Amino acid sequence: MKCNDELIKEVCNYLGGDLDSTPCRMIREHMEKCRNCEIYIDKIKKTVEIYKRVDNCEDLPDSVCKKLFFTLNLKLPENK
Amino acid sequence: MDDNYEQEQELVRQAQAGNQLALSELVNRYSMRIYHLGLRLTGTEQDAEDVLQETFLTMLKKIRQFQGKSSFYTWLYRVAINISLRKLKSKPRKYQHVSLDDPNIGKISSFPGEEWPDIDFDIIREKHFKEKLDKAIEELPDIYKTVFILRDLHELSTDETSKILQISVSNTKIRLMRARNFLKEKLEGVVHAEGLA
Repeated sequence: MKCNDELIKEVCNYLGGDLDSTPCRMIREHMEKCRNCEIYIDKIKKTVEIYKRVDNCEDLPDSVCKKLFFTLNLKLPENK
Repeated sequence: MDDNYEQEQELVRQAQAGNQLALSELVNRYSMRIYHLGLRLTGTEQDAEDVLQETFLTMLKKIRQFQGKSSFYTWLYRVAINISLRKLKSKPRKYQHVSLDDPNIGKISSFPGEEWPDIDFDIIREKHFKEKLDKAIEELPDIYKTVFILRDLHELSTDETSKILQISVSNTKIRLMRARNFLKEKLEGVVHAEGLA
């Protein structure tokens, strides 16, 4: 197996698929020997982690929350 | 979300019957996620607020039509995404979208074999870094951006994402792979430009 688009698609399936399937097993075996692929996967993982950390879902601003409930004509929950 | 499935079904039934407390609870439960989704998709706080309000106004109007064929939040996310995309179409874009059909997008790496250092998140959170990362997300075409936001930022499953976007699971995976690869390439550029590698 060569490092190409096909492999990336399989890796994508591998990350979200059945780890015992034949394609996943082949990818695992390939990656054990291929340093470039190992680094590639590490970079993808770091990319997702960095975007998640930077994104950092904050609370809804108070003013936005109050305006929303007012617009909907609903009572604001007591913990708000 | 699976743990709360039964509880949520009951809440939705009560809301459909007009129970105001149940409606409030549903709004309270999902408002932050919908606001964040709107913010990420539209790129401005004002538009995100509009998406938030329009999504829940639609919910109030149409909740009786919800038949429970999908989970409630899948339905709500779909409403919010449709509103966000409609809003985006009506405005000039801040950044030009890249074409992910470009063959270079599929390549494994601009710097194959070169490892990244351990990332210092205090540096990454600095304003100029964040702006570059935000810009990269905004450059993604909507079909890729939506998948990335739902799968990686909102941590929904591939199956949930495909249901919300009404695309196949394999298509979801391919879009996610392309989005992640594009963002990795952008980050690679930033890592090099900032001398982190």
